[in-house]
Amino acid sequence: MTELERLKRQHPAIFAPSIGQRFGGPIAAGGIALSLIGGLWHLGFSPGRIVDGMGQLGTMIGLMFPPDPGSFARAMIYLNALGETVAIAFLGTFAAAILAMPLGLLAAKNVVANRIVHFLSRRGLDSIRGVDTLIWALIWINVVGLGPFAGVLAILTSDIGTFGKLFSEAIEAADKRPVEGVLSTGAGPLHRIRFGILPGVFPVMLGQVLYYFESNTRSATIIGIVGAGGIGLHLAEQIRTLEFGHVAFIVLSILAAVAVIDAISGRLRFAIIGKRAVPVD
Amino acid sequence: MLEISGLTKRFGTHAAVNAVSLSVPAGQFVGVIGRSGAGKSTLLRLINRLEEPSGGSIRFGDQEISTLSGRALRAWRARCAMVFQQFNLVGRLDVLNNVLLGRSFVVPTARALLKLWSVDDRAAALSALEQLDIGLLAAQRAETLSGGQQQRVAIARALLQEPDIILADEPIASLDPRNSRVVMDALRQINRELGITVLCNMHDLDVAKAYCDRLVGMAQGRVVFDGLPEALTEDEARELYGLEAADVLDMTPETLQPVAMAAEGRRFAGRRAAAH
Repeated sequence: MTELERLKRQHPAIFAPSIGQRFGGPIAAGGIALSLIGGLWHLGFSPGRIVDGMGQLGTMIGLMFPPDPGSFARAMIYLNALGETVAIAFLGTFAAAILAMPLGLLAAKNVVANRIVHFLSRRGLDSIRGVDTLIWALIWINVVGLGPFAGVLAILTSDIGTFGKLFSEAIEAADKRPVEGVLSTGAGPLHRIRFGILPGVFPVMLGQVLYYFESNTRSATIIGIVGAGGIGLHLAEQIRTLEFGHVAFIVLSILAAVAVIDAISGRLRFAIIGKRAVPVD
Repeated sequence: MLEISGLTKRFGTHAAVNAVSLSVPAGQFVGVIGRSGAGKSTLLRLINRLEEPSGGSIRFGDQEISTLSGRALRAWRARCAMVFQQFNLVGRLDVLNNVLLGRSFVVPTARALLKLWSVDDRAAALSALEQLDIGLLAAQRAETLSGGQQQRVAIARALLQEPDIILADEPIASLDPRNSRVVMDALRQINRELGITVLCNMHDLDVAKAYCDRLVGMAQGRVVFDGLPEALTEDEARELYGLEAADVLDMTPETLQPVAMAAEGRRFAGRRAAAH
């Protein structure tokens, strides 16, 4: 038997790949291209409309310069509302993180080994998460009335689901060695969580929470439009009344706020995590 | 006196530990030797009950260990400290608190969770660290230490448990020769001075012979040698390590190795020539 025959016999998949291995890639690529073209056709996409719209967009951007809140009093009103938006995001995100902590532990296979608990908590978190922040805002406005409180509740509810899932996944991916080390000393289940699991996953969780704080500042703008407090309502109003100088001022303020939050959270993460980078999400 | 009889652990149909019987008198330094996969690690983990036995019994004094649960199991684990190949410290916790985790069974849970250790416990932790020459590292995060230092922290943690037995699972397999000697010396000193029984897994036969009062050889989950280090002849050692190699590869070593190695040598030689 020659060397080639022996290798062919031992590794059949390498010398004679199956049809799936050979044509899987091109078939998938073709499928994606087809669905893309089909989707564009179905939604009435036409390059002509984009070209026509470009002029409109140009006019709008032209009107945005210079960004101008009109008066100092208006500027203060906008900045105040922006502060409210940031506060909504902050309260909603961190309250959600605190409430999601026990749920995350409950939904983690390596903490609660019970299949039924695991299934129920996972599906529960998924269904909360499946409803978008904007829809929660519409619901909460009907429950507690218009204003920032509804906004905080909207972000809180939708993020409990997200954090619960992210936390439970971080916990499940935690290093098993410290857990065994802690357990081998005669430690109980609470020591196991406090010392075996949390020190390793806390930086990951913190990174996720800070990232969501920044992202929720943008979400809080949107839910403001439906009346859940903050800058969103002003933004929608100025767009409606075609006051594009005001719109530009508001948009730039939001961008600045998000940039500041991003910078602060980056430093905070670095300070707590130390030198090692921890991936978010 | 630790008394193991007919102890078995099956993973699926594979018996990692197969009807092992062993009796270890208090104060002995026992080396468990054999190739990786021989079941040494599982044996030690069964004794600490990190693995659940599939059958057989483990007795310590009058107590049956294999059926303990809840608080009684925690009490047993506290008496039977474990040192791991990968140290198994809490990396992001400082060294002192890692050592103090050795007190987690005796200190009330609420105090332990808040790290409110008593002055006496702190002093005990520091003096354990000092005995191991790493007292100055007490405030550092465990993950910043070298492997040899981390293993000494793990030994200090074990000491704080005030154990009757220390189970060391390949404690030097991740260390360089100098650190290996420091760690083995520490274990032997603890054994001689405090009278703590030590069961230590190793695959290095020379180290095992140098440190242990008694050697237990394992292959395929069974005890195949049990006696004084001097009693282990070279033939027996070769059998202990060679027997399994043949079995794993499912061929006799004589026919497999020379052919494969010759072929390998030719190929690499050819590639080197082609590269130049």
